[in-house]
Amino acid sequence: MSYSDKVIDHAENPRNVGTLDKDDPQVGTGLVGAPACGDVMRLQIKVDESGRIEDARFKTFGCGSAIASSSLATEWIKGKTVEEAEAIKNVDIVNELNLPPVKIHCSVLAEDAIKSAIADYRAKRDAKRAAEAAAKPEAVATTDAR
Amino acid sequence: MTMSGFDPFAQLGLERRFDLDLEVVERTHRELSRALHPDKFSGGTPAERRAAIERASAVNEAWRTVRDPVSRAEALFRLAGVPVGEVNEPKTAPAFLMEIMEMREELAEARGARDLARVEKLAAGVRAREARVTASLASALASGAEPAAALPMLGELRFYKRFLEEVSAIEDEAMEHDGAV
Repeated sequence: MSYSDKVIDHAENPRNVGTLDKDDPQVGTGLVGAPACGDVMRLQIKVDESGRIEDARFKTFGCGSAIASSSLATEWIKGKTVEEAEAIKNVDIVNELNLPPVKIHCSVLAEDAIKSAIADYRAKRDAKRAAEAAAKPEAVATTDAR
Repeated sequence: MTMSGFDPFAQLGLERRFDLDLEVVERTHRELSRALHPDKFSGGTPAERRAAIERASAVNEAWRTVRDPVSRAEALFRLAGVPVGEVNEPKTAPAFLMEIMEMREELAEARGARDLARVEKLAAGVRAREARVTASLASALASGAEPAAALPMLGELRFYKRFLEEVSAIEDEAMEHDGAV
């Protein structure tokens, strides 16, 4: 099987490899795996106060296409709002990397990883807001009165 | 050959089961291969010779499928009408994925540090887990229960297989280094 030039480029020089502090409330972590091939992928986002993704990191143990898909995904989501990142579809990755049909699941994995990182970030943010609201009952009362 | 109708068990005259004595199967494969050797058909018609070659290649494919626990299980699921593959299998449990990720990171670290003892220790742990899951899968498939319920175990085995492939790559790399010195 021959890889496209873009896949080779990303696989040989992956962008944004690494980890972010998973305990940071602004960081969302997505961990996904492909039971059909045994690949595992972690994608993390760091979201600023305005809801924009200021940093993204990944770590993938898998084939070149899985590495390229997650590398490209981090490149794309950096600088985007969470909502914009959420709109990325696996077919966008397939088209950009010219993935063959047998490697489409790698792009699905990358899309799942983005969505799962966003879900984790949102769950943390909502928990934080709930905790803040519980800590400041008078603030809630003021909002309610308005 | 990945035709959905291909039955590797029938090719080797075996029962359709996961729990097989691979030594016996290997012997069967060798005997069949010998019986189908082209020399035995040198006096035959072209059609007979071609049929023998096709049969020999199917027998080889069957042995390759049956000897590996992952592909053997895949074949059994397929023959039981349970589709396997990317879109058909249940998602892997997050806690398990977390463990796999940690083990893979540890392995990558050991590779970077050229710490073969640590690599072997990690590999031994994964082999033990693989053996446990293989045994559970064997009893699940033999129990007559709904085979689809056993699919997560197949997924688990693939993660271990991938891990152990990486271990082999590290071992090969280490040997090349030794050879170069």
